[in-house]
Amino acid sequence: MAGTLTLEDIVRKTTDLPSIPSAALAVIREADRPDASAQKVAEYIAQDQSLTARVLRLANSAYFGLSRRIMDNREAVVVLGLRSVRNLAMVASTYPWMIRPLKGYNLGPKQMWTHSFGTAVGAQLIAKETGKADPDAAFTAGLLHNIGKVALSIWLENKLPAMMAMAVRDDLTFDQVERKLLGFDHAEVGAYLAEEWNLPEPLVLAIRYHHHPDECDPPEPIVDCVHFGDYLTMSMGFGLGGDGLRYEFSTSALQRLAIDPEATDRLVAAFVASYEEYEKLFQDLDQAA
Amino acid sequence: MVATQLLVGMAEIQVAKEGPLFVCLGLGSCIGLAAYDPVAKVAGMVHVMLPAAFADKPVDKPGKFADTGVPSLIEQMARLGASRSRILVAMAGGAQVFNFGSGGAGRLDIGRRNADAVEAQIQALGLRCLGKDVGGNQGRTMTFDSGSGLIKVRTVTSMERALCNLKGS
Repeated sequence: MAGTLTLEDIVRKTTDLPSIPSAALAVIREADRPDASAQKVAEYIAQDQSLTARVLRLANSAYFGLSRRIMDNREAVVVLGLRSVRNLAMVASTYPWMIRPLKGYNLGPKQMWTHSFGTAVGAQLIAKETGKADPDAAFTAGLLHNIGKVALSIWLENKLPAMMAMAVRDDLTFDQVERKLLGFDHAEVGAYLAEEWNLPEPLVLAIRYHHHPDECDPPEPIVDCVHFGDYLTMSMGFGLGGDGLRYEFSTSALQRLAIDPEATDRLVAAFVASYEEYEKLFQDLDQAA
Repeated sequence: MVATQLLVGMAEIQVAKEGPLFVCLGLGSCIGLAAYDPVAKVAGMVHVMLPAAFADKPVDKPGKFADTGVPSLIEQMARLGASRSRILVAMAGGAQVFNFGSGGAGRLDIGRRNADAVEAQIQALGLRCLGKDVGGNQGRTMTFDSGSGLIKVRTVTSMERALCNLKGS
């Protein structure tokens, strides 16, 4: 397989590619505009019945603790705000396929989701704490940072032990092994998909450079937020696969975010607290799944 | 008979009279510490997240930090009849990202700092550690079968392996 398939071949030949409903993609693009319209966001969600149902279920979850029930998505946008609803639309449209196991990375059921959602929460926290990026855009970027793994998984099935052996033998990170074996890594595949979906540029950059934020030129704060969110998530063991924590952390990203390394433990504690709070979102989604 | 399974979630402490299978799932930089008093037949486990409690914040869950979690585990076991001088322990976890680039790890190396902090507590409390599997960059699952005393550690890519036996056999 090595070197014989291009990234485009892989994407074309993978039957089980991740997908995001076009209505949700329209929501992301609209919410990203400086003159974003709440009414348009509500209209886009309404185009997709199952998306509407899931967004409403999330909006009425214990997480928001509203005193009355939200009955339609227009009301959801008004009560929760456009940005929150954008995030709910993302959660609602990625959850169904992110909870599937990914054999190529040795990820069991729900583990891809746990890791992606953790990174979303972590990136959002870092964006909020530092004020360097829009927290909700960081959330979406974190949620999508590993979509390339969904496409690559099938091509890596049964290869993980050999890949890890290569990583140890040659002192490589896991993404370096992917590049050695395939010519590209899961971050590049993810960025390719994000471009195909016409996602906003900062999201594409966050997906492409989440393991190597220093290579993003010029630097993009949302990339650094996702990089740090990924580090928090891996460190706390959320949804670790066979590749484990075999990645590099860029201390330059920390400097760009102006985070004092002494604050690491407090950020870890705040991250876990935020993650546990967010879990209330899914109590109903799980029951309905 | 299948042993009752006690999941020890992040920042949690579980103690019991011997019998249950204690499980710490998905340890990244966190540390799982299993403890057993072979005379009182009291067992326990803590899933530590961070090295030390924050001086300016009340501790919501003692199990969260090494400096509160380990003493609290021993105290809870003592309430069931265990004696500190007899307690045997084993620890696993403390993984870390592969490298930290040119800037070095410093405070970011939570895995190593967690392992050091738990070991410092083990020493301070005079506990005897029979097994240790820490560091590296793989997630781990640690189990402690308090019926047999067997401690096992598994990574996602490796087979489960026996780390030690807290019953000493």
